[in-house]
Amino acid sequence: MEPVTSAPVSVTINGEVYERDVDARRLLVHFIRDDLMLTGTHIGCDTGNCGACTIHYEGRAIKSCMMLAVQADGASIETIESLAEDGALHPLQQAFSEHHALQCGYCTPGMIMSAKHLLDHNPEPTEGEIRRAIQGNICRCTGYVNIVEAIAAAAKGEVSA
Amino acid sequence: MSSTTTAPERVEAPQKGFAGQSIPRKEDRRLVQGQGVYADDVRRHEMGYVHFVRSPYAHAAITSIDVSKAAALEGVYGTLIGEEVAALTDPFFQLSVPPGSEIKDYALAVGKVRFVGDTVAAVVARTRELARDAAELVEVEYEPLPVVIDPQRALDDGAAVLHEDAGSNLVWEGTFDWGDFDAALAEADRVVRIDRLHFDRFSSTPLETSGAVVEYDRGTGQWTLHANNQFPGFAIIMMGPALRAGMDKLRFVSQDIGGGFGNKICTHPQLVALCLLARKLNRPVQWTEWRTDQHTGNSHGNERVFLDVEVPVKADGTMLGFRCKAIDDAGAYSRYEPLGCIIWAQVTPGLYRWRNVHIDFTQVVTNKSPCGPNRGYSRMQHLWFTERLIDIVAHELELDPVEIRKRNYIRAEEMPYETPNGCVYDSGDYARCLDIALGLVGYDGLEERRKEAESRGKLLGVGIGSTLDSGTNNFGQSQLLNPDLQFSGNNEVATVKLDIFGEVVVTLGTTPQGQSHETTASQVVADLLGVTPDDVQVRAGHDSYWNTHAGFSGTYASQFAVTGLGAVKGATEMLADQIRRLAAVILGADGPEGIELDGGFAKRVDNPEAALPFMACGAIINANNAGLPPELDDVTLNCRYVYRPPFQVPDTERKFGNLTLTYAMQIHVCVLEVDPETGVYEILDYAAVDDCGRRIHPQIVEGQVHGATAHGLGAAMFESFPYDEEGTPLAANFYEYHVPHALDMPPLKTDAIESPSPFTSLGTKGMGEGGGASIHAVCAALQDALRAAGNAIVTDSHNPYHRVWELLENPEASRALVRVEAS
Amino acid sequence: MLLSEVAYTRPASVDDAVRLLAEHDGARPLAGGQTLINVMKARAAAPDVLVDLADLDELRSVSVGPEGGLELGPMTTCTELIRSSAVNEKRPILAEVAAQIADVQVRNRGTIGGNVCSNDPTNHFPPVLVAAGATMTIASTAGERDVPAEEFFLGVYLTACGPGELLTRIAVPPAEEGDGFASVAIGVDGTCIVNAAATVRDGHARVALGCVAAAPVLLTAAADEGAVREAVRGAGLEPPSDLHGPAEYRRRLADVVAARAVANAMGAS
Repeated sequence: MEPVTSAPVSVTINGEVYERDVDARRLLVHFIRDDLMLTGTHIGCDTGNCGACTIHYEGRAIKSCMMLAVQADGASIETIESLAEDGALHPLQQAFSEHHALQCGYCTPGMIMSAKHLLDHNPEPTEGEIRRAIQGNICRCTGYVNIVEAIAAAAKGEVSA
Repeated sequence: MSSTTTAPERVEAPQKGFAGQSIPRKEDRRLVQGQGVYADDVRRHEMGYVHFVRSPYAHAAITSIDVSKAAALEGVYGTLIGEEVAALTDPFFQLSVPPGSEIKDYALAVGKVRFVGDTVAAVVARTRELARDAAELVEVEYEPLPVVIDPQRALDDGAAVLHEDAGSNLVWEGTFDWGDFDAALAEADRVVRIDRLHFDRFSSTPLETSGAVVEYDRGTGQWTLHANNQFPGFAIIMMGPALRAGMDKLRFVSQDIGGGFGNKICTHPQLVALCLLARKLNRPVQWTEWRTDQHTGNSHGNERVFLDVEVPVKADGTMLGFRCKAIDDAGAYSRYEPLGCIIWAQVTPGLYRWRNVHIDFTQVVTNKSPCGPNRGYSRMQHLWFTERLIDIVAHELELDPVEIRKRNYIRAEEMPYETPNGCVYDSGDYARCLDIALGLVGYDGLEERRKEAESRGKLLGVGIGSTLDSGTNNFGQSQLLNPDLQFSGNNEVATVKLDIFGEVVVTLGTTPQGQSHETTASQVVADLLGVTPDDVQVRAGHDSYWNTHAGFSGTYASQFAVTGLGAVKGATEMLADQIRRLAAVILGADGPEGIELDGGFAKRVDNPEAALPFMACGAIINANNAGLPPELDDVTLNCRYVYRPPFQVPDTERKFGNLTLTYAMQIHVCVLEVDPETGVYEILDYAAVDDCGRRIHPQIVEGQVHGATAHGLGAAMFESFPYDEEGTPLAANFYEYHVPHALDMPPLKTDAIESPSPFTSLGTKGMGEGGGASIHAVCAALQDALRAAGNAIVTDSHNPYHRVWELLENPEASRALVRVEAS
Repeated sequence: MLLSEVAYTRPASVDDAVRLLAEHDGARPLAGGQTLINVMKARAAAPDVLVDLADLDELRSVSVGPEGGLELGPMTTCTELIRSSAVNEKRPILAEVAAQIADVQVRNRGTIGGNVCSNDPTNHFPPVLVAAGATMTIASTAGERDVPAEEFFLGVYLTACGPGELLTRIAVPPAEEGDGFASVAIGVDGTCIVNAAATVRDGHARVALGCVAAAPVLLTAAADEGAVREAVRGAGLEPPSDLHGPAEYRRRLADVVAARAVANAMGAS
């Protein structure tokens, strides 16, 4: 109960339990990237605006740059690395490729996690709902046009096997 | 004396095949799984994390720096300050003539700081957090100096001088004069005078910031930079002499880069600091730029003011030319500058046929972030200018904006067209593309939409933005700024080989940041070798050790489709020829013409059953090559080709010559609605039509158009880098600097035509930058909307809501800047 | 950017939380972190101790009060407000405004208590709660006290909830005739340049203006456009100038936005 500057945490990420000692000040995104080598989640800004760090925390899309690793003790997290299974791409990943919804790929993991959060909760989104779902994910390459198309296609199951 | 016409290359007849199809991208599989390797993903055992200490002052003398407390912090590996840099390195090469040539630019500020964010010291520590903590313990004493913020005041008597060695804030100045402007004035029926047009400062802010892991090998003196720098050719030329090391001692490696847009070209100062630290500390060092540091200290796009503009016009709307003064604000250091002072001349007349141009061009330094190439570099500013001219002239003379453009556009039948300064526009049909764009927004029905908007109290406006994306630079244009510079032409390299088991492997000299080089290269290779793109392995990224690079290698300036794919084509043709020659000998055909490549086999044309698989070819040359006849001595099946575009050195006297090889075009039309009570505006309808010659992958081309449009809309509506009077940057992060998100984007309608370039080996034109057409279109649309409410003139490129509101509140202020006079 | 060294604790009860806040001078409560973590990353503030409120379920509940109003736990997230049937029934303006804040990810973590206690002048909930006449309950080792919303917001980033204290409840009276909210923001759902919340009843409007001063400015007027605009213009506002607009722009927007908030409230009633 007394405040501590470092603490052990046990976090389940993509189904695997990780136990580490972390400094209280360590951001969750740095814990994921630097301590656990899950580098699919990216950092693009200092102020929680860009969304490149988006992960699922207890089933909800959040920005992992605005959370401390110690807060995640006992929690269940999914990152982009959880989507493909045995090399088979998730329909969202497949749709992103088919619709050229990525160019440099840097926003893509966060963008897909936001898209997945949408489809997990709303399987038949309108275009407006899709745009709203990715409002917190900045892309500088695509203008979002193909991203919205890809998510719509994935929602409708219009993705090649 | 330069020749200005370029002999057209024989253009390949359109092939059936993979080029031209939108095939799945090779890059995607790893990127959608988060398996890309970006700069911050690179790890080295025991590497030290770097944090730069940066100046809080826009202009100040550094009276002392004390790093002792920082160095003493547990976990800190070492530090670096300006004094050390000045002792260990030479200042970066300056491209300008005096006084700009005398600017001393080092990896860290030496003796004084010149912009908020200027790097003063570097600290290296065991963790990111410790490096940040240690940076706070570095004690720097500053003596603030007066600041220069307004480029129009930078050359005033008594203005503070940033670079004492130069003795002036002038980087470069010169006069560009082509045709006969005075005669044009005499011939005109009217002269439209515009006192001031202003192109605002912004940048593309790639989502991945700059970064690197730098290692130094003591035994060999070799640096390896795992860096996301997008123009290693330039970086090496800058860094090698500064570090007093041979160019080959700087190995650049990258795999995936999270966007560049030009903003990752001028990172050589930080990279030199990292090189010094890696050597000093004998350990790898890691640096990832903070977003705040990118916004304050890295590569803003050029801010440019156009003054005393004169446009002679005939009564029928024929525009005869223009004259103006231009002042370009380079920020605190000239790092890629003053090239911006000439690069706009690739598109001197914009899309128009006027022949008489006079510009007095000046570039100055100010206490703001140094500028670097930003998507559309220097041409975008100039094309915005020409579009404002045509739009304002039409507006003031009450001429139809569509008709005046069609009257003045260069015509398809005039292509290839030599501009007043000797550039050659290769192909294009601007009027046709304008019609297509207008059709996409239902232009004919717009008056009804205007009335409907009016009934809701809103002001509807429609605007056209035409632009060019000039691609494949002739670096000889640098000699028009400084005749002593030894740069000209351009190049790019590719190697294509058959590996020991017949795998086709390609390496490129480029540094793609999302432009799909692996995919498009594989399409070209596949078609020439008779295989599929899946059979073609393109190595991801860039590595100097592949020796697949030349002086200008990198990914910038809208050129891969010409230079990179030109190199790929050249290398593949060499390889194809070698395979045929080898197969001819092995299969007993009458020479290589008797062999065709099909489906991974080399087959006799007269007897396709007689076939050699690529695997056999690879195995023979690599592992089973005894007894081959001497005529096959040069067959290695490992072919390196350097593409060089056919340029001459321009005429430095007349500033005349061909400066770029290809001219892609985009025409945009924007329909928007302004709320006159608040200045808030919303884009309702938007069309973009592009022509980049032959498209190797149409979906990729369209993606670039979408992205360029989004960047331009951001710059028009939300994005700029303002400074206060003390030189404090006000948009230092993504909280203040709003980047359009998915709900901010209007519905985009796109279409394309293909006017192949007669000058490139594939008929392609580079097109990635775009040319900022959305900025031009939004400005025109706003001006149209405001016609009914005060008739203000739009004179700034950046029009956030408050500026639109000011134009509504006080149209007289902007109208006072424009006058129409009888000639 | 990275945090300075900090100590962390996650108490299991409000009493423990309050005790910890009182015991440690530089202690701050950590709610959703959507503001505080960023502030700490920039090192604009560096609390010594973070008291994480995540385990305090009693701060998370949404219930209907005895008079049919809402009793909101300050740890209620924007997403929870948007989805709460009690909120949507009793005072839907809270859900409507929550839905305009930032983006999905921020709404999944950001709390109404955090939005209120950080009191950035551009925040959404302060004007809404002032217009609605909400009451904040603040707990400390000395007990609890209630502060009306009108007196809660003291200055930029400054509220009546001081060091050693914890906001434990926001009581929102039942809806009157109608509530409205309007803003001019940077981009869709972006940072507000000017915002206003309004409540109308019996032809009268209560309007709270945000972004124009250190704390929401409360005005009352007859619920018609002309009266509202006159009241705002007569309020002697001195808004800040910044890169999103000069002071004059905000001053002139204020009456437009106020009138729109009242119009929305009338439309809702």
